Amino acid sequence: MNIAVLIKQVPVSNDVSVDPKTHALVRASSEGMINPADLNAIEEAMVLKEQTEGKVVVFTMGPPDAEKALRDAMALGCDESCLITDRQVAGGDTIATAKVLAEAIKMYGQFDIILSGALSADGATGQVGAMVAERLGLPHVSEIQSIKYDENLAGKIEVVKKMHEDKIRVGCTLPAVVSVNFGSNTPRLATLRTKRAAKSKPLVTYTNAELALPADQVGIAGSPTEVIDSFEPENGRKAQMLTGSGAELAQMLKNLIDEEKGKV
Amino acid sequence: MFEKRKVGKVMEKKKIGIIGGGISGTCLGYHLSLYDNAEVVVFEKDTVGGASTAKSAGTVCLFDDSLRNRYWDVRLYGFESYLKMEAEEKGSAGFDKTGTLVVATNEAVEATIKTGIALTKAAGYTGEYITDKDRIKEILPDISTENILGAGYTQDDGFFDGTMISNTYAKKMQKNGGTLKTGVKVTEIKVDNNKVTGLKTSEGEDYEFDYVVDCTGPWSKFTGEMVGMDVPIWHTKAEAFFLSPPGKKLDYTFPVLKYPEFYGLRAGDNIFICKSHLSMDLNNPMHAGQWDPDKLPATGGTDDYFIDFLLEQLEMKVPGIVDSGLVSSWLSYRAEPKDFLPLLGETPMEGYMLATGYGGNGVIEAPAASRDLAKLIMRGESTPLLEDWAFKRLLG
Repeated sequence: MNIAVLIKQVPVSNDVSVDPKTHALVRASSEGMINPADLNAIEEAMVLKEQTEGKVVVFTMGPPDAEKALRDAMALGCDESCLITDRQVAGGDTIATAKVLAEAIKMYGQFDIILSGALSADGATGQVGAMVAERLGLPHVSEIQSIKYDENLAGKIEVVKKMHEDKIRVGCTLPAVVSVNFGSNTPRLATLRTKRAAKSKPLVTYTNAELALPADQVGIAGSPTEVIDSFEPENGRKAQMLTGSGAELAQMLKNLIDEEKGKV
Repeated sequence: MFEKRKVGKVMEKKKIGIIGGGISGTCLGYHLSLYDNAEVVVFEKDTVGGASTAKSAGTVCLFDDSLRNRYWDVRLYGFESYLKMEAEEKGSAGFDKTGTLVVATNEAVEATIKTGIALTKAAGYTGEYITDKDRIKEILPDISTENILGAGYTQDDGFFDGTMISNTYAKKMQKNGGTLKTGVKVTEIKVDNNKVTGLKTSEGEDYEFDYVVDCTGPWSKFTGEMVGMDVPIWHTKAEAFFLSPPGKKLDYTFPVLKYPEFYGLRAGDNIFICKSHLSMDLNNPMHAGQWDPDKLPATGGTDDYFIDFLLEQLEMKVPGIVDSGLVSSWLSYRAEPKDFLPLLGETPMEGYMLATGYGGNGVIEAPAASRDLAKLIMRGESTPLLEDWAFKRLLG
């Protein structure tokens, strides 16, 4: 099975502020990491790869230093990677980003399944996976918990989605695009050996010269989304000192948790 | 130790401003606060023990190569200060008594270990030099005993928590009347006629001091610039990884493990591994330089070469954990004078003192260094340690 995984490099630090003029996020640190939900997508990809003796290619769009996220993904077992980096495609909204990713996937090769994380830790729109599916003309299943693949039912997968307390099983023909929930599995860890091996795994770089998308269709020019306002949320965290015996403290904690959950 | 002593007679007040609330600044603040005539203010721009101190492994081993045996009393004073802290309030020094295994890879290291063990035993602690390789593997089953001569072992020590210790010292200093200012940055050090007279802060406050002490470790180069002084500090990289062992959980107590090239210790169910500071080459730009510690990322930032280094080291020396998962990593800067010894005491600028350049050994060295520096500041008495670690040794 040929598997593609779409990942995003997100800032490590939560220490962000908002530029009052451009409404852009200003990050205290440029240090990036793989978006947490994308790690769950990679883990699903690894399970499918092991089951089908397949190949996993990981894609990301970003600045040149997003290579680090791709190398990290290859240290987790992804076989190849593709970085789309070009100032022309930078700053795009979800639609413009999806166009670029879909084009890169088409250019790279044929895939049976394309996985993404359900939400990014910074933008958190959850739209890119579905938009890529739309661009590629493929079915899309969002926010799944797990994927079941049976080789006797070639060309199909069964995924599990969570709806409140219920689990829903959804059948889907392949090829398809699937977005994976954060926390749906336990991502494996890289080791020193896999880290070193990742340094020499193939990494292909595309610019828009290769993708040949019209300049007014990508990047800021190709983004119909307009950010009207953005702001830092008020800090709603509060601390409360509890005192009492162990049993009293346990009861007080239970009451507070129930209160927060809306039971009281 | 923690009760304020009376000095016997009324003495002239001395006002001391300490810049930096890590292990160096809080420990010095506490030792100064033991003197009745000291008025101490510690300025910390962020949180107490939250910067390079928080990234310290906190190993205070009875014998290893982190500090030459010549300074063994420094090591012992630090260790026993923290034991007393723990005895007074459990957890206040974050002691994890895992014991230490120091591996002898050559005869020079072996001789150092044996001397350290003799000193350890003379101080009333246990220590043994083991050549029985089965016994070494009993202590650390994942180790390779090939190509080693033996190992020194004590079960009496382990590692501490530098952040906890700093906060405990800060609390004790405040109890003794000292003042702690957190979230306050020193913006200017006032100088008059080549003498320090005080400082100004980001809060717009203006302080008068008889002495200002730089306890800013990796920031010392910038702090020194405020008095027009070039503090000869280099940064060496402390690159650390947290490993999750292949079985997820070790079924034995992983001791502090010391090789000349790296050291390891347990961190919950994980293992912390870091390159040793004495293996750093100040002439190698991959190891050392002069950087801005404010630009360090909270996590990550390690160099690729470190992966190769660690893989090679673990394959050879601790093969049982080489296939551990990499949980996280971080990079810290150690403040390192060129001879790898601290900078302590007076400078050419009257009233401007240094307690910096511990080079990753701050948790080990700060108690003895602070004890002696406090004595110099408050009584004008120097000590052999202050003479050895004086700034003037690097002049000329």
